[in-house]
Amino acid sequence: MAKIIRTAHTEPFVEKPDDDMIICRCEEITKGEIRRAVYDGMSTMNEVKRYLRSGMGLCQGQTCQRLVQNIIAAEMKMKPTEVGMIQGRSPVRPVEIGIFSNNKTDVKEE
Amino acid sequence: MKRHELIVIGAGPAGLSAAIEAKKSGMDVIVFDENSRPGGQLFKQIHKFFGSKEHHAKERGFKIGESLLAEAEELGVKVELNATVMGIYENKEVTVKMNGEVDHFKADKIIIATGAAENMIPFKGWNIPGVIGAGAAQAMMNLQGVKPGSKILMVGSGNVGLVVSFQLLQAGCEVAAVIDAAPRVGGYGVHAAKVARTGVPFYLSHTVIEAKGTDHVSGAVIAEVDSHFQPIPGTEKELDVDTICIAVGLSPMSQLASNAKCDMALIPQKGGNVALLSEYGETNIKGIYCAGDVAGIEEASSAMIQGRSVASHVCYSLGYITEEEFNTKYDSYQEALGKLRMGMFAPANKGRNDFTVTDEGYPISKNLLAKGYMTEEELENFPAYNYKKAGVHPIIECTQNIPCNPCQDACPKKCIKVGENITMLPQIDEEQGCIGCGLCVASCSGQAIFLMDETSDPDGVLISFPYEFLPLPEVGDKGTALSRSGAPVCEAVITDVKKTKVMDKTAVVTMRVPHEFKNSARFYKPV
Ligand SMILES: Cc1cc2nc3c(=O)[nH]c(=O)nc-3n(C[C@H](O)[C@H](O)[C@H](O)COP(=O)(O)OP(=O)(O)OC[C@H]3O[C@@H](n4cnc5c(N)ncnc54)[C@H](O)[C@@H]3O)c2cc1C
Ligand code: SF4
Ligand code: SF4
Repeated sequence: MAKIIRTAHTEPFVEKPDDDMIICRCEEITKGEIRRAVYDGMSTMNEVKRYLRSGMGLCQGQTCQRLVQNIIAAEMKMKPTEVGMIQGRSPVRPVEIGIFSNNKTDVKEE
Repeated sequence: MKRHELIVIGAGPAGLSAAIEAKKSGMDVIVFDENSRPGGQLFKQIHKFFGSKEHHAKERGFKIGESLLAEAEELGVKVELNATVMGIYENKEVTVKMNGEVDHFKADKIIIATGAAENMIPFKGWNIPGVIGAGAAQAMMNLQGVKPGSKILMVGSGNVGLVVSFQLLQAGCEVAAVIDAAPRVGGYGVHAAKVARTGVPFYLSHTVIEAKGTDHVSGAVIAEVDSHFQPIPGTEKELDVDTICIAVGLSPMSQLASNAKCDMALIPQKGGNVALLSEYGETNIKGIYCAGDVAGIEEASSAMIQGRSVASHVCYSLGYITEEEFNTKYDSYQEALGKLRMGMFAPANKGRNDFTVTDEGYPISKNLLAKGYMTEEELENFPAYNYKKAGVHPIIECTQNIPCNPCQDACPKKCIKVGENITMLPQIDEEQGCIGCGLCVASCSGQAIFLMDETSDPDGVLISFPYEFLPLPEVGDKGTALSRSGAPVCEAVITDVKKTKVMDKTAVVTMRVPHEFKNSARFYKPV
């Protein structure tokens, strides 16, 4: 991943006509919110995810990950390959909380 | 916590093949899949596959899935279904959501074979109901028996977009257009041609800019794009559709590898974020492997071989096979993969658009790439199209170097030859006598073979073509012969309909048309 240099903006945030377009459907996060997050200083997939919850919904970023990546890259004037990915975390699929609490605690090997 | 020698995650072609290979050597292996049925993508695929006989070519996808499953069951491979792997932890501990609880397993080796997920493109209104992924459309039609809509816009002209368009037509939907932002059809020309000849228009260098509607799609606005893929103002066109189907590629579903802290990289040729692998498919974490689409988007044929190849390394490293046995297996799998990965659609050539001639030196059809069908003038460059003789004989309109050769095995008279290298174009062996059985027509996965008979019927030429729509025409029916672009050409009379078990549901229909239309009539529409 490329080294990111963080500096405070001197220009104001510029809105765009398609800013109201939803990008992360599960968490209903718009393109404008992602662009603004980058403006606010978030510059990697993981940072934007923690800031906005994009990619943290039902599909776990399956649908929006590449889209968010492209938007961040365009804002940062970088290549998508330089923006990084969301760190995969368990559970990689949504799990009902009832099942989660049903964790087999016997972790001794049989 | 249960311990196994090998845990395979995903029961698609890659995972099942890996499990089969490992189990054969005597290893203790368990497979987890989150679906209620094994087979991965294969169970949605009702079309005949490309590849060669060893890779189950010309078999329909779901049949390949069934035979893999039968082989796994016979060997006693344990396949846990409805079992979602949630995470991979240190020391190869795996958590699995199954039977309403979170269970823990440990293994010496793990093969991740979780396949891929569909890409999406955002546009105005893309979250209105009726904008669906091509995979969803397939699952609705082919698994649930539900029509996804009645008038469809297909976005994406790769193989998935083309195959699903054809399946939508088979399900009785109207496909209003296939569009692609790229200036050329992305999938195999033969797949495009079989869609185009039903009359579906192709708009290359076009993208969808808006889905109309409030609670469901009631139309789609498309527009031409410039060389930077930006819509050109003034070129907008509104299409009357109720469904927009998105088929713009797949991304490896590699979250588990990332979760296991494998070194990852975004590699466009592999379709997205993948774990970095050794030549044996092992990640930087010893004992964790990836195989199939999760390692790089390819095909079921290569996923199966990769699964076996990776598993053979697991067998070797756990002492189930000797180094010599491993080397022999590995070399033969690599050779098979190498053959599949040749030709202009090879993974290494992804994104290349500078091909002007085939491996044989014939000029590549530009019309096929721009409109989905070939012109007669372009076809004349290809000997297998130009072949002429008295009586019935094949003519082949397969003009790109794709990994495919069922036509060669199908002919009982050995009239058709592809040769050792399966990406070479099929050639017709003039020495052999065609008997007009139609097996080549029915077994061609690309529906690119026709039979021509200019001499046997005094009233016209007899053209036989593959037909996979219901209801089948009947002998004596009169209808309209269509051209390669689906335009009406002339009146046609059905003179024969062949449908045997070996043809596997592809009927070979013969129509009679006046002589002057022999080079243009390629399909049939009942009146
Ligand atoms: C429309 C279409 C047409 C195609 N046509 C052809 C063709 O003609 N010829 C050809 O060779 N190939 C074709 N393919 C490609 C082929 O289907 C895929 O390349 C192949 O299925 C990949 O196999 P795989 O085993 O890697 O993944 P998949 O088949 O996707 O299987 C992955 C499995 O992993 C499971 N899984 C994922 N995550 C988890 C988890 N966390 N826990 C448990 N299980 C999990 C999934 O449920 C799935 O069953 C086509 C694909 C499509 C979509
Ligand atoms: S019709 Fe039969 S004999 Fe003739 S080329 Fe085709 S498969 Fe061979
Ligand atoms: S003509 Fe042969 S090589 Fe070409 S698509 Fe048909 S079966 Fe495959």
